[in-house]
Amino acid sequence: MTADARTDAELITDVAGGDRIAFEELHRRYARSVLGIALRRIGDRGRAEDATQDTFASIWRSASRFDPSRGEATSWLYTVARNAIVDGLRRRREPPVAEAPEIAEPGPGPDDAVEQGWVAWRVHRALDVLPEQERSLVELAYWGGLSQSEIAEYLSIPLGTVKTRTRSALRRLADELEDEL
Amino acid sequence: MSEPRDLRDLIGDDIEPDELERLQRMHALLEQAGPPPELPPSLAHAPEPPSARVIPFPRRYRYTALAAAAIAAVSLFGMGYLVAGGPDPKPVETLTMRGDGGATAELALFANDEAGNWPMEIRVSGLAPGSYELWLTRGGELAAPCGAFLVAGGETTVPLNAPFKLKEFDGWVVVPTGSDDRVLTT
Repeated sequence: MTADARTDAELITDVAGGDRIAFEELHRRYARSVLGIALRRIGDRGRAEDATQDTFASIWRSASRFDPSRGEATSWLYTVARNAIVDGLRRRREPPVAEAPEIAEPGPGPDDAVEQGWVAWRVHRALDVLPEQERSLVELAYWGGLSQSEIAEYLSIPLGTVKTRTRSALRRLADELEDEL
Repeated sequence: MSEPRDLRDLIGDDIEPDELERLQRMHALLEQAGPPPELPPSLAHAPEPPSARVIPFPRRYRYTALAAAAIAAVSLFGMGYLVAGGPDPKPVETLTMRGDGGATAELALFANDEAGNWPMEIRVSGLAPGSYELWLTRGGELAAPCGAFLVAGGETTVPLNAPFKLKEFDGWVVVPTGSDDRVLTT
């Protein structure tokens, strides 16, 4: 079985047994998402990168405590990541740069921030299950600042194909996410 | 991040209302999530897995443990003298420890008692005046304290105790108090 074919749960179980390849694969799948959470929580990029390293060290150490019967692997990873980031802040006795200001301002509260972090975590992970041609198209459409016509030109494919693939990508995302989000 | 836009611009108009609603939800989630951050080169690969390590005593507990070991050693020798008139003259094992500058020590291990205490006597010479600690090691790391003693120069002989299962360790070292620097090793 190759690392790519293993589910997240299987990878965590294998990491618990000391499988370095499984660990590398988990890192490939989740490093950007962990860094995303750390950036949301900490704000400072350098410290967020340190927190990401700490998170994967924590995943390595605590993998043996993962119990697939008690929940989804992605939820477990999200919890480990969030706890590792918070523990890192406590250990260094550094306040989060992005901590809520003393004077209330309009914007998401702590619960909303957690919710947004979870949404980003699941959406980014779900994108990984899309075929490459659909994933790159979604990234260009939503975060690349390109119109569908510009994407068609950029990828040298008909505009109709861009729309068809976008629709297909959204359907796959719905299949992946609609029970959770 | 790009501006929010109408989903129909992205996927076309020919779509059933139910399906449109379903995809609209994904459309909103993508807008909400925003792009994942790019990884810097330092995060291109997984970090080296942390290796298993012997957790050292926190310094505050370390001194407490050393004090307890010293008290236990003195108590045991006191009881030994009272019961038998002195320590067993025949150690079950004698170890030699060596360090830089000709420093040496002889560590005499006497028979352990029923509780598992190993009375010892260490005779040290060649160490600079100061305070030292005797430790058991495991995997090259300081693992269990066996007491502290003072050296005023010349030769020093002191009773100590190892209240541990010695088979679980792989060596002995003497370090200056509060330091991990080995000045004597087996």
